[in-house]
Amino acid sequence: MSEAAHGKSPYRAYWISWAILLTITVGMLLAESLHMPRLVLVLFLLSFMMVKAVMIGANFMHLRYEKRNLGFMVAAGILVTSLILYAFVSQESAHVLSHTVR
Amino acid sequence: MHGTDAAILEAGWGGGAAPFGASWQKTMMWIFIVTDALLFSGLLCGYAFLRGASTVPWPRQPEVFSIPFIALMTFILITSSVFMAIAVTAAKLGDGKKALLNLILTIVGGAAFLACQAIEWSHFIADGARLTHNPWGPPQFSQAFFILTGFHGSHVLSGLVILIVTAIRTGLGKTPPQGIEMAGLYWHFVDLVWVFIFTLFYLL
Repeated sequence: MSEAAHGKSPYRAYWISWAILLTITVGMLLAESLHMPRLVLVLFLLSFMMVKAVMIGANFMHLRYEKRNLGFMVAAGILVTSLILYAFVSQESAHVLSHTVR
Repeated sequence: MHGTDAAILEAGWGGGAAPFGASWQKTMMWIFIVTDALLFSGLLCGYAFLRGASTVPWPRQPEVFSIPFIALMTFILITSSVFMAIAVTAAKLGDGKKALLNLILTIVGGAAFLACQAIEWSHFIADGARLTHNPWGPPQFSQAFFILTGFHGSHVLSGLVILIVTAIRTGLGKTPPQGIEMAGLYWHFVDLVWVFIFTLFYLL
């Protein structure tokens, strides 16, 4: 919002975010075709997936202009719950797989 | 009221008339978004379970899907999100015409995304994919595809309905800027979910 006060278009930040998001997406597609080690690829893709999510939340959903506790509630609420769920689910799937293979 | 109670209410976590320093509409919208995000989180964790517990090797996605086509869908959704953000800002700045134009562009983008999804589903089904089996091996693969993209597609569809109603009301001068902002939050959320589905289902 402060950009308008500085004479810049208030929409400029959105187009910059758009360009960055598309560049990251193209980078992720290229990484897929580079045949890099699986672990490196997974880390690369997950990292940039989070970068894209933060950019959409901060710039498009305006979380960067909200009070910090709102952003914290959203990010922590989703991330922590998801990680706890995934921690249990991944153990369970490994357990099921080991019993099925046996 | 004791001084300490008043201090708690005024504090960042205190609540009061405007918890998080936002209007009740925005606060409720964010709470809805968090709960809806947890629905997708559950679905994605379910997908992780199915894939992790699969005894049959998981298919390589580029051999099943046209990844450039999926990238095009991502491009369409991200671009529609930009139009939506511009509509919200234009409405806040009092530029109703720009807000309406960008709302219409967002709707066009959303409709194009749904059309692409319909094409993708048609090809997938024509190739023999069903909920219970598919030609690439683990039946969980097509189950996960239909459930994840189906739930996301239904969100896009409901987002489109919300956007069309908002656009009509904006054209009639009946929607306040905050109404457009709420519709925008939902639309960006739909875009956000796609970022995760695109990476976790199509790329990894």
